[in-house]
Amino acid sequence: MSRSVWFVAEHQDDQLHRGAAELASAARGVGDETVAVVCTGPGGTVSQQVAPFVDRVLVVEDPALDRYTAGLWAQAIVALAKERGPAAILLPHAPLGRDLAPLLASRLQAGLMTDCLELEWDEGLVGTRSVLRRKLVARERVATPVAVVTCQRGAFSSAAAGTPGAIEVARVSVDAGAARTRFVAMERAEVGETNINEADVIVAGGRGLGDAEKFKIVQQLADALGGVMGASRPVVDQGWVPHDRQIGSSGVTVRPKLYFALGISGAVQHVVGMRESDVIVAINKDPQAPIFEYAHYGIAADLFKVVPALLEALES
Amino acid sequence: MRIAVCMKAVVDSQARIELDGDGNLRQEQLRYEVNEYDLYAVEEAIRLVDGDNGEVTVISLGINGAAQGLRKGLAMGASDAIHVDCDPDALDPNGVAVLLAAALREGGYDLVLTGVESEDLGGSQVGVLLAEELGYAATTLVVRTSAPADGSMQVRRELEGGEHATVEIQLPAVLTIQSGINEPRYPSLKGIMAAKRKELVEKTPADLGFAELPARRVIALGLVTPPARELARMLTGSAEEMAVELVRILRDEEKVL
Repeated sequence: MSRSVWFVAEHQDDQLHRGAAELASAARGVGDETVAVVCTGPGGTVSQQVAPFVDRVLVVEDPALDRYTAGLWAQAIVALAKERGPAAILLPHAPLGRDLAPLLASRLQAGLMTDCLELEWDEGLVGTRSVLRRKLVARERVATPVAVVTCQRGAFSSAAAGTPGAIEVARVSVDAGAARTRFVAMERAEVGETNINEADVIVAGGRGLGDAEKFKIVQQLADALGGVMGASRPVVDQGWVPHDRQIGSSGVTVRPKLYFALGISGAVQHVVGMRESDVIVAINKDPQAPIFEYAHYGIAADLFKVVPALLEALES
Repeated sequence: MRIAVCMKAVVDSQARIELDGDGNLRQEQLRYEVNEYDLYAVEEAIRLVDGDNGEVTVISLGINGAAQGLRKGLAMGASDAIHVDCDPDALDPNGVAVLLAAALREGGYDLVLTGVESEDLGGSQVGVLLAEELGYAATTLVVRTSAPADGSMQVRRELEGGEHATVEIQLPAVLTIQSGINEPRYPSLKGIMAAKRKELVEKTPADLGFAELPARRVIALGLVTPPARELARMLTGSAEEMAVELVRILRDEEKVL
């Protein structure tokens, strides 16, 4: 029997998310047929945008699906999956997938693997994921007829566009009255005066700095390099620096010429926001910190000794 | 309002993680601590019931560190605790959700809070799966809550790239709480003393009606050390020597200064 692997097309304001091409390539790697499922309001163009990456597009159009809500999208996708029996449904490990994937898994009585880095088919869908703070990789196999999977952003290369697949409008009724969550409004986190996206040099600090007072050394090095200070999520959560300095999946993505990571361990949530930088320097006292896998130059030592020495060396 | 908060004991961030010759995790050198995200959830629950005579129940499924974690939740201000005594390695996330739901079903909770994910396994599955088992609504990545009104509440979800969405959710509901939503309190000495007198109920899977554990939907195939990536060029020497060498490289080789 041919194996149909679906992915849920992520979109907003009639724009397909570029991560859809990654899911298309993940699906292609394990299935015979790649299908994009599009939940949308009437009249959108998302189906046309995703068609070049897939064999087939299954689109459910309903005014109730115009804005993403997990419950209504789940209704549509569960109905389709029960009718047609895909081998797997892939979603991004992102706000969409965190909500929607467990709903689909629960309602389809399907095994769920999240944040996958690789997928293969070996007597069922097998995935790998990072565990124990990225020090180990776990392999898992889904044991149910349908698998639901979320894929880490950036883990799969984007599929190339090809001949557009056929678009099929699926007849599925959605009961908007059954929705228990309702979208109210979209808001942007406040943005300060510094536009970190455009900086050529960024010096970012992490939890390894210890406290807000000690964090000032990050700003000192940024000033000495004519750059901008940034931070990883835990630092922003602690309130040491404002939210607009946060680099990573829930903050901004940056690509400066020079990126310093001070006391940053290299959690994936941070790394996705800086790994494209031209030159990355990491200073961290733990020689096993994952950040050294992304840095071009590494110093495994006490940053409170190295940074003052750097400030001095920069003056000469 | 009655709120339950799920807490997980996770492998300590400082613990040495190693595999033995058979590819099993060396257990003897592992230490456990409360999943940090769950502390934000406990704090949020305590704040939500403050002033309406509500109560917070903390619940944890596990063996190593679970009871200690619950004591911490009680010391922060929860009223009572449920310890589901079961080895989490024998379950997949769905199994964890099924057992937690069995322990919480009779409680009549208006809200169940969890952290967004666990720091050690990072599955971010149990919260929403638990909601489905309980028949509750659910939303994830919550960075702000508001007082409930007319059987629903407005919450803010954190999206990507600095965007947030405000969502209205009907109660009862499960919310997964993102870090940074509040400042979790440190238990006071008084809180720690009071926690010793609070009720901590022990339940085995059999007590919850499970003669056998829920079947796995996902099979664990094993753990491996991640493939080596190309590592950074590591500088050596004294702090001064490394600083001088780095500045030379950035100026003369990379030409970024």
